[in-house]
Amino acid sequence: MKLLSASILALAVATAPIAANAEYSAGDEITVLQGFKAGGGSDALAQLTQPFLTKLLGVDMVNQYIPGAAGAIAWTRLAKQSKQDGGTISITNTPMLMTNYIMNDAITYSLDELTPIANVVTDPGIIVVPSDSPFKTVEDLFAAAKKNPGRITVGNSGVGGDDFFSAIFVEQAADVKFRSVPFQGDGPSATAAMGGKIDASFNNLGNVYGHIEAGNLRALAIFTKERVDFLPDVPTLVEKDINVVAGSSRGYSAPAGIPEKAREELIAAFESLKENEEFKTIAKERALVLDIVTGDDYLQMMKSMETDYKKIWKEIKSDVAK
Amino acid sequence: MDTSLIVVGLVNVITLTNISLILGGTLLGLFVGAMPGLSATMALALLLPLTYNMDPASGLSMLAALYVGASYGGSISAILLRTPGTPSAAATVLDGYPLSRQGQAGRALGVSLFASFAGGLMSGLALLTVAPLLGVVVLEFGPVEMFAIAVLGITIIGSLAQGSMISGLLSGALGLLVSTVGMDFLTGTPRMTFGQINLFSGVEFVVALIGLFSIPQALRLIEKSNGAAKIASKIADRLIPSFRELKQLMPNILRSGCIGIIVGVIPGTGGDTASWFAYNEAKRFAKDKSRFGKGDIAGVAAPESANNAVVGGALIPTIALGIPGSSSTAILLGALMVQGILPGPNLLTDYGDVTYTLIWAVIFANVGLLLVGLMFTKACVSVTKVPDAFVACTIITLCIIGSFAINNSIFDVGLMLGFGLFGYWLSKAGVSPAPMVIGLILGPVMENSFHQSMLIGNHSFAVFLDSPIAIVLLFIATLSVFQATPLFGWIKTLRRQRPAKN
Repeated sequence: MKLLSASILALAVATAPIAANAEYSAGDEITVLQGFKAGGGSDALAQLTQPFLTKLLGVDMVNQYIPGAAGAIAWTRLAKQSKQDGGTISITNTPMLMTNYIMNDAITYSLDELTPIANVVTDPGIIVVPSDSPFKTVEDLFAAAKKNPGRITVGNSGVGGDDFFSAIFVEQAADVKFRSVPFQGDGPSATAAMGGKIDASFNNLGNVYGHIEAGNLRALAIFTKERVDFLPDVPTLVEKDINVVAGSSRGYSAPAGIPEKAREELIAAFESLKENEEFKTIAKERALVLDIVTGDDYLQMMKSMETDYKKIWKEIKSDVAK
Repeated sequence: MDTSLIVVGLVNVITLTNISLILGGTLLGLFVGAMPGLSATMALALLLPLTYNMDPASGLSMLAALYVGASYGGSISAILLRTPGTPSAAATVLDGYPLSRQGQAGRALGVSLFASFAGGLMSGLALLTVAPLLGVVVLEFGPVEMFAIAVLGITIIGSLAQGSMISGLLSGALGLLVSTVGMDFLTGTPRMTFGQINLFSGVEFVVALIGLFSIPQALRLIEKSNGAAKIASKIADRLIPSFRELKQLMPNILRSGCIGIIVGVIPGTGGDTASWFAYNEAKRFAKDKSRFGKGDIAGVAAPESANNAVVGGALIPTIALGIPGSSSTAILLGALMVQGILPGPNLLTDYGDVTYTLIWAVIFANVGLLLVGLMFTKACVSVTKVPDAFVACTIITLCIIGSFAINNSIFDVGLMLGFGLFGYWLSKAGVSPAPMVIGLILGPVMENSFHQSMLIGNHSFAVFLDSPIAIVLLFIATLSVFQATPLFGWIKTLRRQRPAKN
């Protein structure tokens, strides 16, 4: 029904009077492959962005859900089995897109087989502790980890996820050693922290914001370049001279080799969203942090992530497999 | 207890869409239950994919109503055809069929309907009051406690399953084994995937479930279908029982309802156990035992009240702890998982709106059952005459559509058929597939929480002894395994012999 209502919405918007110049050169329908189930974080992005894209490009957008293997089934199809005519794109989640093939030889797509279009949102990483935790600041946490190397338990959303890797980045930058405890997603990791089952949870802002506001969890540090508006008292790691900026990002990519004109039109559509006040308001209402990065810059963003995560996986691979 | 969530759940249910889905679900359940060969579990497995694109409240309301409807529907063919429509209506045959032979089919069906309604309503109210009491301790349930819960769930289910305990435990172990397919939780390494990317996230449990429950049943139907027409009794007398009769049966119905709730709460036992239990108790309490088996109306009221009471009872551990109380509730749990809700003690808090919707749906479905039952019971007679081969083909078609719809994956269809053939073979060997499905659900919980406990407890098993909750749960688990060994039998004989010596 969700798919149906999305396409009805798309239809309704498409048939509404639109600006005459808005015509997508690669056809009047775009299929969007989603690597996760309907109703998840990727779907939230689709619900936010696609009504606007429909209007801007004058196309119908049809969501196709192909969940499995942390998105890899959908992305393999995008890279290897989709027509390169600009009629098929996919929501791409980073760093998951890269860590999938970095960690598993059986996943064979690569960045060369993709045309990155635009990143749209980034949910920044954050460290949270139980509200009755003895750790009042991130320094307390690091001091405890220095004193008892490998005994402070920190939860993450699962091996290969952004929190798993950001914990390692923090360990290296702050020269500490935690004990990482993987959970099945950000929710269970946050719940375990609330119940005091683990000392801290490396999580994402969007998942724990409600609990921080409700006083169930305390935020120690956020992994953004600058402090975020709605949590002005929470310091960034960069402030503490720990150069870690990380989060879970979602955007759109097409297969490699799509017509240059289609690529430019898609990028232009996303560029125009940067200035769209209505779009920005809706994103804020849904607690999605916008981080629009288009075209070659998005490719660059992926490439640099790929380098970082490849390096770190090489270093820790043997530890993890133990 | 958070009363606001209870209200949210109530409001979610009372919408035109959901009420009509509940009525529709009950009606469908009625037909499915009446059709010999289709069980409530299988109907749920087949209809689950339909709910993927519904919002959680609607999907769950429909499934809950279907479950409730099928629990009554089974008695229709039990009374008219001498063939229980669902396994849990088997006890109803004993007195229901003789009654219909004596021209009192309407009376038997009417009492069955009212008893089902009363039992179901009781269990719905029990669910609403008891489950939250178990749910308040949610945050106490960390990895250590979850491990203990999973161990308990699997051992109890294994040892209480239909057939022999050994085969139940075997089936549970097979489920655990299959649940290890997919990416390793700690290292991200794919296990037993043979490089097949479709298996990286493991075997989708709904796929396995559809295959294991539905395909073997379809094959069995084809096997025994020989074209012979079925002979059903006619309903000649009126359906609505007299007030005096209901008053007379009330103690029996209430007692059976309580039995149903309690049996439902114990994971691994379901309507079939409860209805026999209630039937025996009704007989024990009766003044004139000789009438049982020859058409005593109490012998219809008792099992029917009990098997509908199981619905709410079985949902109590499902909702409060994330352990399914029966194979049908395992599927309802699957329906929650499809909506992105992970089974566990936080069903009542984090996902309280959805969970309370389910609870209210059960209560409303019982009311709906009374209405739908009065209107459509007579129509169900024709359903019992549909040829088996036709039913079988419909089942297989629905299985294929259903397993494809989950991930839009043809691979899953093949997987489902594979599980179906395996399940057929298992059933020939006398092994019930239910523990296997529950093993599949609880396997990842058990494995992950074990790893997490080890990490948190610094690689020492002592971590399980630090938690009082875990100690109690693991103790009960040990007992139930113990019960499946010959040792337990010896103790029983010893105890029986002792008074004899005195």
